[in-house]
Amino acid sequence: MSTPGPERVPSTVKVDKTSGQGKPPASKAGAAKPGAAKPGAAKPGAAKPGAAKPGAAKPGSRPGAAKAGGGKGRKTIAPVKVSGGRSWGPIAVIGLVAVVALGIIGFGVFSVVRGSRDWTDKVADIAGVVNYRAQKNALIDARDHKDGTLTYVTSPPVGGAHNATPQNCNGDVYDAPIANEHAVHSLEHGAVWITYKQGLAADQVAVLAKKVQGQDYSFMSPYAGLDKNVSVQVWGYQLKTDDVNDSRIDEFIKDTRVVAALEPGISCSGGNTTTGPVTAAANGTGMTGS
Amino acid sequence: MTVSTDSDAAAEAAASVNGNKPARAHRGWFLVAAALLVGTLLGLGIGLVIPHLRTPGDDSVEAGFLRDMAVHHAQAVEMSMIAHQKSDDAQIVYLANDIALTQHGQIGYMQAWLRDWHLDLTSTRQPMSWMPDSQGSVVNGLMPGMATPAQLAALRQATGKDLDVQYLTLMRAHHLGGIHMAQEAEKLSHNDDVTWLAGTMVASQQSEITLIDDLLKKLQAA
Repeated sequence: MSTPGPERVPSTVKVDKTSGQGKPPASKAGAAKPGAAKPGAAKPGAAKPGAAKPGAAKPGSRPGAAKAGGGKGRKTIAPVKVSGGRSWGPIAVIGLVAVVALGIIGFGVFSVVRGSRDWTDKVADIAGVVNYRAQKNALIDARDHKDGTLTYVTSPPVGGAHNATPQNCNGDVYDAPIANEHAVHSLEHGAVWITYKQGLAADQVAVLAKKVQGQDYSFMSPYAGLDKNVSVQVWGYQLKTDDVNDSRIDEFIKDTRVVAALEPGISCSGGNTTTGPVTAAANGTGMTGS
Repeated sequence: MTVSTDSDAAAEAAASVNGNKPARAHRGWFLVAAALLVGTLLGLGIGLVIPHLRTPGDDSVEAGFLRDMAVHHAQAVEMSMIAHQKSDDAQIVYLANDIALTQHGQIGYMQAWLRDWHLDLTSTRQPMSWMPDSQGSVVNGLMPGMATPAQLAALRQATGKDLDVQYLTLMRAHHLGGIHMAQEAEKLSHNDDVTWLAGTMVASQQSEITLIDDLLKKLQAA
């Protein structure tokens, strides 16, 4: 579509010029034009069907008679007009090409900038997301492995020291509260943890479960004493909402899942799959099966 | 054609009208500069856009396959790690080791390519939506061949021969689902990397199914 357009324009412009060259002397115009005008009139007709180039080129070359006849008259007066008229053709072409080029560049820059935006920029742009990574809180940034019950500065936690065993986060939907100590380790692995207020209606829990089932690097559990119906978190970022259908939940998951990992490439498998508080059996560095 | 007349005309103009010369020269330089500028801008634009036209897009077969297969593979790693930890059969321990390491490595390939293409590693699209006629193949978010949470829970509880049989049976179904997806990707994709990896998945998982069948026969005879 784009090529016939610009090419058709210059060809007709040229036609106008050649006939325009003959124009100035009004007396000659009568004599010279009829010869030049006919192919000129034939060209637009030939250009329209689509076979513009070959069709237009032939009539242009044909009027050898017009050149010979009208050429004599042209040579003396035409030059001034030619120089004035000629520059508009290239300018129009350059202008058109420039517009196309700028369009392409605009699109290119747009897509490159948009594509290279970091996930941290995307998630920070979601309204209501709290960026704990930016706070540089040593208690949240801590990544050491510790045994036993641990306390966290946020509820639910978004980072900090944790148990050596992660909670399994291979799309696992837990029906009872799980240990923070295991869950935080899974956040370190890049998992999205969906928590909901304990006692949330079953149909609403089902809406959330759909976002987790079959999705690697995600897990879900009820959370005791949650101040909103839903809290979604990865390491260092948290979004709380009362609406399970809030589109920001999906946005948050899309922008953070997997890429939020502090240890890229690590698996969500092989972790703890039981619910309830951290136990002495989960202490140490071994992965506990059941 | 017109050029020859123009040069004639130019010659005439140069000869007859001297006053026009500098103006024409200026215009010539302006046109050259404009052409250079436009050419540079065009080149820049094309250079920026072409790499993006050559890599698969966000809704491509390739992106869909890599994202879905990464999730599909992750469950094979999950099941294999359970078997690797708990099985008493050396052959099964080695098979589980092989499957877990191979598939986890392949997840790395797949995610690295998505990163190279500046695409998200995950998508909110329904799994399998890159595959034609895949409606109904996803049950509770699980792609074909994937074990249900109940089957995984049972596998975690199982021990001894029971564990081995459950693992092999689940892994066999998992491979069949994976092979089907990989075959479709091999057929639909025009990306050399993707068709190569999909091809190796088909070949290696098919040979593993033969091995699984042998192991199952042995277990049932014992």
